[in-house]
Amino acid sequence: MMNKNQLSEMSWRSHIWAILAIARKDWLYFFRYPLNALFRIVEPIIWLTPVYFLGQSFATAAGNTGFAAYAGTLDYMSFVLLGAVISSYVSAVFWGMGFSLKEEMDAGVLESNWLAPIPRPLFLVGRTLASLAITTINNAGMLFLAWLLFDFRVSGNLLAAIAILLPMLAALYGFGFAFAALVLSMREANTLVDVSNYLVSQMSGSQFPVQALPPFLLPLSLALPLTYGYDAVRGYLLNTRTLLPIQLEIVILVAFMGVMIPLGYGIFRIIERRCKALGTIGLH
Amino acid sequence: MHSSILVQRSVGSELRALLAMARKEWIIFRRYPSWVIAFFIWPVLSPMGYIFSARALSGPDGSALPAFSRLAGTSDYVGFVVVGSILWMWLNMTLWDVGFQLRNEQMRGTLESNWLCPVWRISILVGPNLTKIMTMLFFLTVAALEFRLFFGVQLLQGNIALLLLILFLVIPSIYGLGMAFGSLVIRFKEANAMVFLVRGIFMVFCGITYPLEVLPPWMRSIAMVLPLTYAIRDVRAVALANATYVDILPDLQKLALFALIMPLLGWLTFYFTERRARQSGALGQH
Repeated sequence: MMNKNQLSEMSWRSHIWAILAIARKDWLYFFRYPLNALFRIVEPIIWLTPVYFLGQSFATAAGNTGFAAYAGTLDYMSFVLLGAVISSYVSAVFWGMGFSLKEEMDAGVLESNWLAPIPRPLFLVGRTLASLAITTINNAGMLFLAWLLFDFRVSGNLLAAIAILLPMLAALYGFGFAFAALVLSMREANTLVDVSNYLVSQMSGSQFPVQALPPFLLPLSLALPLTYGYDAVRGYLLNTRTLLPIQLEIVILVAFMGVMIPLGYGIFRIIERRCKALGTIGLH
Repeated sequence: MHSSILVQRSVGSELRALLAMARKEWIIFRRYPSWVIAFFIWPVLSPMGYIFSARALSGPDGSALPAFSRLAGTSDYVGFVVVGSILWMWLNMTLWDVGFQLRNEQMRGTLESNWLCPVWRISILVGPNLTKIMTMLFFLTVAALEFRLFFGVQLLQGNIALLLLILFLVIPSIYGLGMAFGSLVIRFKEANAMVFLVRGIFMVFCGITYPLEVLPPWMRSIAMVLPLTYAIRDVRAVALANATYVDILPDLQKLALFALIMPLLGWLTFYFTERRARQSGALGQH
């Protein structure tokens, strides 16, 4: 009788262990460079300070009335800060998830990791967990600093805003799967990632109400599901004037999630198979 | 006793080393076409967020524009923002390029072997900067043309010679800072965090997107010891408000002083950091 050997007993439990191990590795790596970790919190404040003073330079005696005519609130800084919070997740997906496999490729460990007896998408699930945790901690630190420096405060329904964030984050990280595979196949993708990240954030209204965009750019912004995520979160927390009724914006976000998760997974599988067939996994 | 030397060192040999480093940098630059593409994309994209923010802040009917105009001395917020952002982008790119020059060699494991070359070590740092200055001047020209094309902002107007003088005076400051920065990166290793810190200081204090008048007095005092503050203010004054040489003379004097101090500061930082790294044996560590 043939002896059936296997290196590990694969089960849902071993998968969870693998996911947690990958997330822990990223966590350790992140805090191994404490200055970089600190600057992930401080840097958004540095970026936002010129925006704050830009707001001050347009303020009339009654506050930012010009801005209020677009957004329905005088609280320009809170509007921008909430945009920065959502943008940090967008950025984590583009840079963190997008480059997650590429980093392993550059470090020369991708091939050996690929041989581990776990489904390959789990590598990205583990990194998603770490990315979500680290970005959320960074955001909490940033909002605390913003509360101290810019008097940031929200008046709306925090739980509802978080509930809106969840489908949006799921969709974003689904997109991250596809993007990670794309970067893996392209290898030199810094400019692509940098430009895409910046454009998507700006066009979705991370810093300003999209109604202020010139007419030829507005349709592009309205075609991005993220625009409705930014808009709905601000609608709940700052009572801004939203582009569409909030319920409709939530439907758009849930549909976005329903499309992006299977699409991201599918693209990842296709590119992964292609890289394996071409033997490019170890090249960089 | 027979004394042998491997090379005959002279001013000519130093110059050749300097040019060899500049040439190496040029070859690397050409090797990555996406870097060239970035030169065309970022001048347009970078100020975009601030421009649309300013547009939103001014209101659908421009009702808040007079408030800005009173402080900035111009209602042309697009021109105001692009001047600030382009000069900051220059500094930012220099910090990444010059700052990472030695660090990249350290990471690749070639720094120690380059250090053994019988040339002044400062040549290894300065040589590539010659290429960087040329590529940056190209970048500024592209930016000026794109601003005209996409935003309708005419930067090359007014007294062009005066604009060039401001650029000429700010070059030593920017690259002196880059040299100091590049040396410190060798010492502290966490290069990303250091870029974020240094470029952040300039971003916050130099009035890139706003008139300095909105800053509290203590922040304005810090702005006044940063060379970029004067460069941004003067380029705006000359290109957007037709200021003359006499109008900006006090600022030009300060820029000239920075042009002397900053390269010296860069050299001193390099000298002491390099000596310390050699003594502690940390030159090849990363």
